[in-house]
Parts: sequence; C-alpha cells; structure tokens
Amino acid sequence: MFGLIGHLTSLEHAQSVARDLGYPEYADQDLEFWCSAPPQIVDEITVTSATGQVIEGRYVESCFLPEMLATRRFKAATRKIINAMVHAQKNGLDITALGGFSSIIFENFDLSQLKQVRNVTLNFEKFTTGNTHTAYVIVRQLEQASKQLGMNLSDCTVAVCGATGDIGSAVCRWINQRLDVKELLLIARNPERLQALQDELGRGKIQTLEESLPQADIVVWVASMPKGVEIDATTLKQPCLLIDGGYPKNLGSKVQHPGVHVLNGGIVEHSLDIDWKIMGLVNMDVPARQLFACFAESMLLEFEKWHTNFSWGRNMITVEKMEQIGEASVRHGFRPLLIENL
Amino acid sequence: MPQLEMMPALDYQSDVYKDAYSRINAIVIEGEEEAYCNYNQLAGLMPKDAEELQKLAKMEFKHKKGFEACGKNLGVTPDIPFAKEFFGELHGNFQAAAASGNIVTCLLIQSLIIECFAIAAYNIYIPVADDFARKITEGVVKDEYLHLNYGEEWLKANFETAREELETANKQNLPLVWTMLNQVAKDAIELGMEREALVEDFMIAYGEALANIGFTTRDIMRMSAYGLAAA
Repeated sequence: MFGLIGHLTSLEHAQSVARDLGYPEYADQDLEFWCSAPPQIVDEITVTSATGQVIEGRYVESCFLPEMLATRRFKAATRKIINAMVHAQKNGLDITALGGFSSIIFENFDLSQLKQVRNVTLNFEKFTTGNTHTAYVIVRQLEQASKQLGMNLSDCTVAVCGATGDIGSAVCRWINQRLDVKELLLIARNPERLQALQDELGRGKIQTLEESLPQADIVVWVASMPKGVEIDATTLKQPCLLIDGGYPKNLGSKVQHPGVHVLNGGIVEHSLDIDWKIMGLVNMDVPARQLFACFAESMLLEFEKWHTNFSWGRNMITVEKMEQIGEASVRHGFRPLLIENL
Repeated sequence: MPQLEMMPALDYQSDVYKDAYSRINAIVIEGEEEAYCNYNQLAGLMPKDAEELQKLAKMEFKHKKGFEACGKNLGVTPDIPFAKEFFGELHGNFQAAAASGNIVTCLLIQSLIIECFAIAAYNIYIPVADDFARKITEGVVKDEYLHLNYGEEWLKANFETAREELETANKQNLPLVWTMLNQVAKDAIELGMEREALVEDFMIAYGEALANIGFTTRDIMRMSAYGLAAA
C-alpha cells in the first residue's frame, strides 16, 4: 500500500474543500483551528499500471496550510508534517510521498532529528520526497516541450531558477550530462551553494534573475518558496518556454504574453484513469489522470516494490537514479505533461 | 527558510514555574485519583471485568504517588482544591452515568476522554519536564496506553449497541475538555506546553481510539472536533 501526504493551498481553499466534502466542523474554522487539527486519511486510491498491475493507496491530509509559514507558526507547520508521517506509518503504508510543502518543511526544519514521536519510532525508509521523479519529469518536459515549440536545444540558453535546491540541482546535472544546450544559467539566493554547484558541474553561468530572464529561451522555475517576485513578460524572449516546477504553481496566472509558453512542471499524466477524489480538489485540469510527479513516485515505488526512501536528503539525486525512476515511469504508463493547444 | 526558534531554557525552581506547577501537578494527581476511583466503580458495574478493572485502578494509584513525588521533588505544594473543582463537572457526569448504569458513557469519560487527555498532556510534557518528572511520566504514559486500549476493546466488541450512547456522551463531555484545557492554557505555557499542541495530540489519540472502536473518518472528524470551535 502506498501513501501520499498532501495539503491544501490556502485557508480559504481548505474551508471550501471541507464544505464540499461535508465536514462542517472543519469548514468554517480559522487558522487557529487548523493549527490544532490532526491528520486524516481522506481518500482511498486505486491505480492500474499500463502493465495491468493494480495497487492501492491512501491520501493523508496533513492539515498543514501555507499560512502557517506566512504567520511564522513554524511549530504548528512542523507538527502537521511529522504527525501526518506518523499517521501514514501507523496505518501500515509501505511507501509514502511527501507532497507540496511537506518535503520542503521536512528538509528545512531538519525534522529527521524527530524520529521518536509519542509511542512511534518513525521509519524514514518508508517515505520519499518524490523529488527524483519530479526532476526526471521536468527534464523530459524541457526536452519534449521545446521540441513542440520548434526550439533546437543546442541553440538554447536554459536558466534554472532555484538551481541549488534538491530538484534544481538534479535538473542541472541532467542538462549537463545528457543534453546539448548552448548555455546554462544558474540562479539561486545562496552564493556559496551556487559556487559549489558550478564547481560540481564544471560549467554554468551564475546570474541574477533579472540578468538571466531576457537571455533565456527556456526557464526552469524550481524555486522552493514563493518570493513575491514579479516577472515582466515583455522582457522575455519570444518564443520562451517557462516550466513552472515550483510550488505553488502560479506562473501561469502571473505571466501571460503571446510567445511565452507556461507549462506546469513536475506534472504527469497517467494513461489510465485513477480512482480517487483528491486531485479534483487540488485543481488539476484532468483530475482522473494528472498528478504531481512526486506523488506518482510513491506509486512507482509501490508498483516496483521498492519500499525505500528513493528520494531523500538534499542534493543527492543522480542522473542514474533519475533514469531508473524514469524507466519505471514509462513502464507503468506515466508521461510528462506537455503543451496543449499549440 | 527560517529555523525553529529554540525554546528558552525552563527554570524549574523559579517562582513562576513553581506557581504554575502547583496547579498542573494538582490536576495530574487529582486526575489519577479520579481514574483510580472510576475504575474501581466500573469494577462494581462490570463484574465480569472486575479483576482487570481493579488492576487498572491500582496502576492509577501508583501513578498518583509518582506525580506526588514529582511535586515534592520541586518543593511544590499541589493546589488540590483547584484540581477538584477543575474535574468537578466531568466527575459529576461520570457519577450520574454510573448511577444510571450507563457503562458506555462511563467508559467514554474515563477510558477515552481522561486517558487521551492524559496521554496527550504527558507526551507534550515529557520533552520539557525536569529529569525526575520525565522518568516518572515516561513510565506512566506507557500504562495509560494500556488503559485506553481496555476501553477501546470493550467498546469495539459492543460497538453496535454502544454507538448511539457514545455519540451522545461525546456531545455532552467533549466540550468540557476544551473548557478545562483553556482554563490551564496559561499555566501549561509556563511549563513549556502549548495549547494547540495539546489539542492536536488529544485529537490524534482520541481519533485513533474512535477509529479502533469502529467509527469512520467522517464520524471521527465530526466527533473529535465537537465543541472545539466554540470553546
């Protein structure tokens, strides 16, 4: 049995979902209430592989809300994630993906030190950030969507925004080892980490966001936190491919300009309908088939019976592991989301 | 990304700490006393289970002694009159249920509500307790899981007949828990325990118990949050 730990995108969203699902006790409550709310299993999922194999899963709602970070209620935020993990483990889930902000909170607040929670010893091997599959899907989107737009990668400058993060660095490694791009621009906030990445890759130009955007044919946006950055679409190249692999995904609404193509990054489509309710609630375009690649990773690990923390820690994703999860992804019928209505 | 703020070190000998401890320690002692009496009373109502219930009662008595030692160790005199008043209403509801032979309500109050409250409070307390109290509380919390399990198993075996009474008893008694929690929220903070963490841990323990008994997620979300928003 696989698991997904997820959360809703805002207090308002959470209230409306609670109302839609018929949980009036949760529907009209304020942030204070959500800070005390326990995790719940709110969906049972059945997935059929392209091979015909069928697996079962559970969706654990952590009751975390992004407002907890915005209002600096960090203890509440970390409790939500840890308690959801305990809930998943207690319910016998063999491999569970940490979706949305969950893995970011786990990493940034160093929650691996909280192994003993009440009468439960967390077994981190049963959890995955799903970042390897997300990084794999993003690079495939980069390869395939650029082709859709008639771009030739060897003529393209690619900017990776959030290059030093877990997903960003993996994307850079893939670009470096597997793709022939004209230039790679590295953008991130921490100069030491940027330097370390450049040293590791042996290439890449360190730039600011403002410098890099007008030069880039392709922008991979994998910055982990919303920064309130505004992008002036008129300064971008045309055509320009913007892959929004960050969380939450909001570039599509921020950047609207002819010639600028925004693609939701790190999203996969399954070749068969998935029996679940929850993707409809997180506003996927095709809820029965589209999902976050990190969630799909726990499905793949369940299909393959790789019950291990395939993606864990920071900056440990290798190109080989991306290929390994990628092969499984293809085998079981997942494909990267591409540009529609060109 | 910001880091978790470190908790300022607690001064277990400060007047502020000891003053808050005099009430919290009293609640814990009185809670264990209440549990001791309740299990003995249940033994009278459930002759088949009498032996086991008396065993649970004895454990509660031992816990009470342990917590009395924690107070003494810090040189704190527990405010027992405060604690008696604190448990007054819940005590009254248990007595009324016992007098009418409503075993299900009695079990909900003692084995579910009081035990889950204890488990939540002890688990939150352990990381911030002084060394002496930590050792004692760690031993106690293990026992309390056994006590919760007793109530769960009985109610699970009798779920179909107990269900309606459980729902009614939940409505009657859970709001009292929130009021009680609010009453000591300020003192709990002095001991390094946050209200929202206590509420969350209580809802987790209580929700898990309801799930084991046979309630669905939908029932659990409704029942375990009952009255919280109004408190």
